[in-house]
Amino acid sequence: MEKVNIETEDPANNTTMLSEAKLKVLQELVSNATIEELVWINGYLSGIISHQTVKQEVIPAKAGVNKITIVYGTESGNSKKLATTFAAKAKKKGINAKVVSLDQYRVNDLPKEEYFFPIISTQGDGEPPAAAKKFYDHIHQNGFQLNKLKYSVLALGDTSYPLFCKSGEDVDSRLQSLGGSRLLPLQKCDVDFDEDANAWFTNALQVLSSNGNAVATASPVISKKPTGKKTYSGTILTHINLNDRGSNKETYHIEIAAEDVGYKPGDSIGIIPENALATVEAIITLAGIDREKTVGYKNEPVTIHELLHKKLNIVYLPERVVKKYADIVQQDIPATRMDLLDLLRIYPVKNAAQFKDVIGMLEPITPRLYSIASSPEAHNGEVHITVARNYFDINNEIKYGLASDFLSRLNMNTGLPYYVHPNTQFRLPEEDKDIIMIGPGTGIAPFRSFIAHRDAIGASGRNWLFFGEQHFASDFLYQTEIQNWVETGVLTKVNVAFSRDQKEKVYVQHKMLQEGETFYEWLESGAYVYVCGTKDPMSIDVENTLLQIVKMQGIRSEEEAIQYLDDMKEDGRYLKDVY
Amino acid sequence: MTEKTNLSAIEKIKQESDGLRGTIVQSLGDEITWAIREDDQALIKFHGMYQQDDRDRREERAARKLDRLYTFMIRLRLAGGFLTPEQWIATHNIAGDHSTGVIKITTRQTIQLHGIIKSHIRPTIKAFNESGLHSIATCGDINRNVLCTSNPKQSVIHDQVFHYADKISKMLMPKTRGYYEIWLDEEKITDKKQEYDPLYKDNYLPRKFKIAVVIPPNNDVDVLANDIGLIAIIENNELKGFNIAIGGGLSTTHGNPDTYARLATVIGFTPGEEQTLKAVYEIVTIQRDYGNRSDRKMARLKYTVDKYGVDWFRKEIENRTGFKLEEPRPYLFTERVDYYGWTQSYDGLWHYTVFVENGRVLDDEHVALKTALLEVAKTGKANFRFTCNQNLILSDVKAEDKDSVQEVLERFNIILHTDKTSAIRKNSMACVALNTCPLALAEAQRYLPSLISKIEPLVEKHGLVNEDIILRMTGCPNGCGRSYAAEIGFVGTALGRYNLQLGGDHEGTRLNKIYKENLDEAAILQELDALFATFKKEKINGERFGDFAMRKNLVEA
Ligand code: SRM
Ligand SMILES: Cc1cc2nc3c(=O)[nH]c(=O)nc-3n(C[C@H](O)[C@H](O)[C@H](O)COP(=O)(O)OP(=O)(O)OC[C@H]3O[C@@H](n4cnc5c(N)ncnc54)[C@H](O)[C@@H]3O)c2cc1C
Ligand SMILES: Cc1cc2nc3c(=O)[nH]c(=O)nc-3n(C[C@H](O)[C@H](O)[C@H](O)COP(=O)(O)O)c2cc1C
Ligand code: SF4
Repeated sequence: MEKVNIETEDPANNTTMLSEAKLKVLQELVSNATIEELVWINGYLSGIISHQTVKQEVIPAKAGVNKITIVYGTESGNSKKLATTFAAKAKKKGINAKVVSLDQYRVNDLPKEEYFFPIISTQGDGEPPAAAKKFYDHIHQNGFQLNKLKYSVLALGDTSYPLFCKSGEDVDSRLQSLGGSRLLPLQKCDVDFDEDANAWFTNALQVLSSNGNAVATASPVISKKPTGKKTYSGTILTHINLNDRGSNKETYHIEIAAEDVGYKPGDSIGIIPENALATVEAIITLAGIDREKTVGYKNEPVTIHELLHKKLNIVYLPERVVKKYADIVQQDIPATRMDLLDLLRIYPVKNAAQFKDVIGMLEPITPRLYSIASSPEAHNGEVHITVARNYFDINNEIKYGLASDFLSRLNMNTGLPYYVHPNTQFRLPEEDKDIIMIGPGTGIAPFRSFIAHRDAIGASGRNWLFFGEQHFASDFLYQTEIQNWVETGVLTKVNVAFSRDQKEKVYVQHKMLQEGETFYEWLESGAYVYVCGTKDPMSIDVENTLLQIVKMQGIRSEEEAIQYLDDMKEDGRYLKDVY
Repeated sequence: MTEKTNLSAIEKIKQESDGLRGTIVQSLGDEITWAIREDDQALIKFHGMYQQDDRDRREERAARKLDRLYTFMIRLRLAGGFLTPEQWIATHNIAGDHSTGVIKITTRQTIQLHGIIKSHIRPTIKAFNESGLHSIATCGDINRNVLCTSNPKQSVIHDQVFHYADKISKMLMPKTRGYYEIWLDEEKITDKKQEYDPLYKDNYLPRKFKIAVVIPPNNDVDVLANDIGLIAIIENNELKGFNIAIGGGLSTTHGNPDTYARLATVIGFTPGEEQTLKAVYEIVTIQRDYGNRSDRKMARLKYTVDKYGVDWFRKEIENRTGFKLEEPRPYLFTERVDYYGWTQSYDGLWHYTVFVENGRVLDDEHVALKTALLEVAKTGKANFRFTCNQNLILSDVKAEDKDSVQEVLERFNIILHTDKTSAIRKNSMACVALNTCPLALAEAQRYLPSLISKIEPLVEKHGLVNEDIILRMTGCPNGCGRSYAAEIGFVGTALGRYNLQLGGDHEGTRLNKIYKENLDEAAILQELDALFATFKKEKINGERFGDFAMRKNLVEA
C-alpha cells in the first residue's frame, strides 16, 4: 500500500517539549512511516505513556490528601458532568472536593491551590470554551508562579477535529511551565469519553489516597482506537426554503428520516459536509493524480477522489496547513487562509508524488453542528434542522459556507450521515416551569423543538418566545406553526422584531426591553431564560438587555444585577446555545 | 318590520362594536400577523378598508410555512368624484409611500389604494386627512360614495346638481367618532350620547347602500344600478327636481335562483332640495327597518322593494316624509359615455377626459400616465374628476391655461394614447378581481386588456371599428364592473371561463342575459366573430349591438 505521511497536528504548535534534534528524529520517523506503522507507533507510545515510563516527572502526592479543587470549562455540559461525577467519587473516599465552573473560578485563588483538577473541552478551531476563556488567558500571562500546585488535566475533545484536545494540552503544559507539578499525565478523551475518564478518576483517586508510588500501580489506560460517535444514516424527507421570494436570506427546513435515533430537545446533530465535486475534479486535474488510486486513511483504503470529496478539508485551509503546503512545494506563501485549488493554481506541485504529501498533511473536514428543531414526542422517527445558507462576499464574489451550502443543495430522498451532539446544558426544565425563549434567526430551531415537545406532553408551564429577522413578509421562520401554537395556547406570548421593516433597526433585545415589566415578573416567578442563535452580537446584546431589565425593573445596582444573572446561571435558569 | 329571528353574524358584530370600534386597536397591535381579528375585518369596512391578501402567493407561502400576505385596500369618499390638484399630488405621494403605488379609479367615481400593510394604515389615513380626504363609510352596510354625472359640460347647472351628491353624502354619514379615535388619535369621547345615531342606530343598514345622481341624456353613472337613483329634471336650464328610482342592484350568485340583477324603478318626483333630501333619507330608514337582516344574499333594497311591492314602498315613503311623491317627469337617456379628449362647458372652462384602462393609474411600458398626471397637477391648473367608467377628467381648465396643460399631455403622449385607443377598448371596463379580490372566480382587469387586443382584429375584420359597443367584464357574478348592464358582458365563473351575456342596451336601461355559459378564450373569440359577422350583415340603420341582439332573440326577453 501507498506510503503517505498522515499528521494530525503541526509539530511547531506543540513541541515546546522536544529539542530540535529530537524533533527532527521524530519527524523523520513519522514522515516515512506507512499508516499501519503510524497506528502501531501511536498505540505503542500511548501504551508507554499510560505506563508512566516516560521521562515526565510525575511527583507523588502526600498520603491521604483531603482537599481538592475540580474546575471545569464546558460548552455543552460534558466536562461539567464529569467534574461532578469525579467530585462524588472523591467525596466517597472522604476527600472534600470543591467543584467550580471556570467562569466562576477566582483566578487569584490559583497560587493557593494545592490539588487542582481542570476538566476542559476544546471548542472552535482548538479554542477553549467561552466559559474557560478568562482562566485560559490568565494562565497564559507571565509574572506569577504556582509552586504549590499539584494538578492533572482531563481534556475533552473530538478526534474528528484537527486540534484534538488542544485547550486541555495548553492548560496542562502551561500549568507546568508556571511551576505546577503533574500528579498524572494529561488524559485526552474522544467523544466516547466515559471509559478514559473513569480510568483517570481511578488513577487520580489512587494518587491522592496513596503515598507516592501510587502512579506506578495506577491501572493503565489501554490505548484503543477511538470508536468515535455513533453515526446514523438519515434520509431527506422534506427540504424547503422558509424564506419567501425577495428575501436576503435562504433558510432551509430539513426533515430527516431517522429510525432509531435517540435525542432530547436541546441537542444538536453533527454533519460532515462533502466538498463540491467540481472543485474536487479541478484539483485532481491540476495535480495530475489518478483519481482511483487508493491510499490508507484512518486505517482504511480510500480512493484519492473519495478522500478529496468526503474526508479532507480543501477549502479555506488554516494558516498552519498553508504553511505545511509551502514547506512541501518549497515556496514562500503568505500566511493567510486559502483554498487548496488556489494554492495548486498559484504554487503548483511538482508531480503526483508531491501531491500525495500534500494530501498527507490535509486536515479532515470538521463536523458542523445544527440544533435539532424537532421533538421525539412530536416528530417520531424524524430529525428536523433549520439551516441558514451561509454566504459571504469575497471581493465582490458571493461564496457560500461549506456545510450550509451542502445542506441547502441536498435533494429529497438522498442519504445524509449524521451524529447526535448532546447538549446537557440546554435542557427543558420540569413541565410546570415557565420558560422564555430568545431565538432570532436560526436560533428559533431548538425552540421549535421545545414548544413542540411541551405541546406533545401537555406541559403546564408558560412559554414565551422572542423571534427576530430582517423582514416580516419574507423572513418570519415557521410563522404559521407559531401562529397555531398561539391559537392553541401553547405559546403564552410571542414578540417579534423585524429589523429592516422600518427606518430605525429593531431587534429582539428592544422587544425584551419594551416588555421589561412583564419580563421581570416572569423572572421573579422563576422562569427559565434560553438564548439561541449567533454569539456575536446577538447573545451579548441580549445579555446586556437582561441586566438592564433586572436593574430597571428590580431597582438594582450594576453589581446586584450581575449577581442576579450569575445566580440564575448557577441555578441553571439562564442557558445559552450560541454560535 | 324585519324579523329579529336568526340575525346574520354581521348584525351581532355591528351591535356589539361600540360604534364600529370593536377590537381594531388591539388587532393593530398583534405582532405575529398582518391580519386583523375576524370581527374587526367586518368593522374595518365601515372605516373604508378591506383586508385582502395576495392570492397569487397563497400556495407557495403556505409551503414555506408563511402566513398569507395580508394587506389592506382603502377606498376614499369622494362625492361626485372630485379632487383638487393639491389633493391629487397628496394621493400620488401616499400611494407611493404606503401602497402598491397604483392608483385605482373605481366604477363608482372614487379611488382605491391596494397593498397597504397593517402598520401603514394609520400613516395613510393621517396623510389623507391632512389634505381633507377620508375613507369613512365607503364600504360596509351603510350609504357608500354618492355618484354624480362627471363632466361639467353635461349641463349649465351641472355644478348645482353636483352639490346634491355631496349634500346626500353628508346627510347619510354615520355619527360615530370611532374613525377619528382609532386612526387620527382623537380623544376618546366620554359621553356616548354625543355620537347617538338616529339614522343608523347601532346596527346600521342590513347591507351596502348606493345612491347616484344623473343628468340626462347621458347615463354615465348607470343610475339605475343603484339602490336610489336621482334623475335630474331640468327644464330650460333650471333644476326642477328629481325623479326618484329605487331598488337597483346588479349582483347575483351562481346557482342561487333567488338572487337577480335589477334596475331601479322610477317611483315618483320630488321638487326642490328639502323634499328630495327628505325622501332619500326616509328611503334609507325604510330599508333600515324592513331590509332582510338574516340572509345577506337577500338584504339589498331591491329585494325589500320586491318583497313589499313598489306601491307599499311609495306609501311608506309618504307616511314617513309627510308629503306625497309627484308623478315622475319625462326624461330620456340617449347615451352612456365619457367624452374623451377636450370638451368645453357652458362657463367656458375646458375639460380633458383621459382614457385610463380599467382605471389603473400607473407608469407602464406604453405610457407614463402616473407621472404625466402628477405633472399636470403640479401646474395647479386642472382639477381631477373621476368617471364611473374608471376614467379621469382633467377639468375646469381656464381657456388661457389650456395650452400649458395640453403641452404636458403631449409631452407624455397622453393625447396620442387617448386618441389611438380603439372604440371597443374605450367602451370597456373590468373590475379588479385577482389578485386582491377575495371573491374573484376569474381574472378581470389583469386579463381584459389582452382579450380586447384579440377582439380588436375581429372588430376590424367586420368593419365595426366605429361602433360604440359597451363591453364589460367581472371576475364573479357580483357585477362590480356592471357587466350585467353591458351590451357584451363577461361574468367570470372559474379561472379562464366566463358567461357571455348579451342583450343589454347601450343606455343602461335594459340588462343583459346569459347567452353562452363557461366559455374559454377560444370559444369567446369564436362566438364574437360569428356575432359581429351577423351584426354587420343584418343590423338596421343605426341599430346598437345590444338592441340587435335583443331583436334577434339571441337571449330571451
Ligand atoms: C373597486 C370596485 C370594482 C372596480 O374595479 O372599480 C369593486 C370592488 C369590489 N367589490 Fe364591488 N366594487 C365596485 C363596484 C361595485 C358595483 C358597481 C356599482 O356600484 O356601480 C357593484 C354592483 C352594483 C351593486 O351593488 O349591486 C358591486 C357589487 C359588489 C358586491 C355584490 C353586492 C350584492 O348586492 O350582493 C360585492 C360582494 C358583497 O358586497 O358581498 C362587492 C364586493 C367588492 C369587493 C370589496 C370584494 C370584497 O367584498 O371583499 C371588491 C374589492 C376588490 C379589490 O381588490 O379592490 N361588490 N361593486 C368598485 C368600487 C366602487 C366604489 O368605489 O365603491
Ligand atoms: C451548537 C451549535 C449549533 C448550531 N446550530 C445551527 C442551526 O441550528 N442552524 C444553522 O444554520 N447553523 C447552526 N450552527 C452553525 C453551523 O454549525 C455552521 O457554523 C454554519 O452553518 C456555517 O458553516 P458552513 O460550513 O456553512 O460555513 P463555513 O464554511 O464553516 O464558513 C464559516 C465562515 O467562515 C468564513 N469563510 C469560510 N470560507 C471562506 C473563504 N473561502 N474565504 C473567506 N472566508 C471564508 C466565512 O466568514 C464563513 O461565514 C450551529 C453551531 C453550533 C456550534
Ligand atoms: C463547534 C465545535 C468545535 C469543536 N472543536 C474541537 C476541536 O477543535 N478540537 C477537539 O478536540 N474537539 C472539538 N470539539 C469537540 C468537543 O470538545 C467535544 O464535543 C466535547 O465533548 C465537548 O465537551 P463539553 O460539553 O464539556 O463542552 C468541538 C465541538 C464543537 C461543538
Ligand atoms: S365583481 Fe367579483 S371579482 Fe370583480 S371585484 Fe367585484 S367581487 Fe371581486
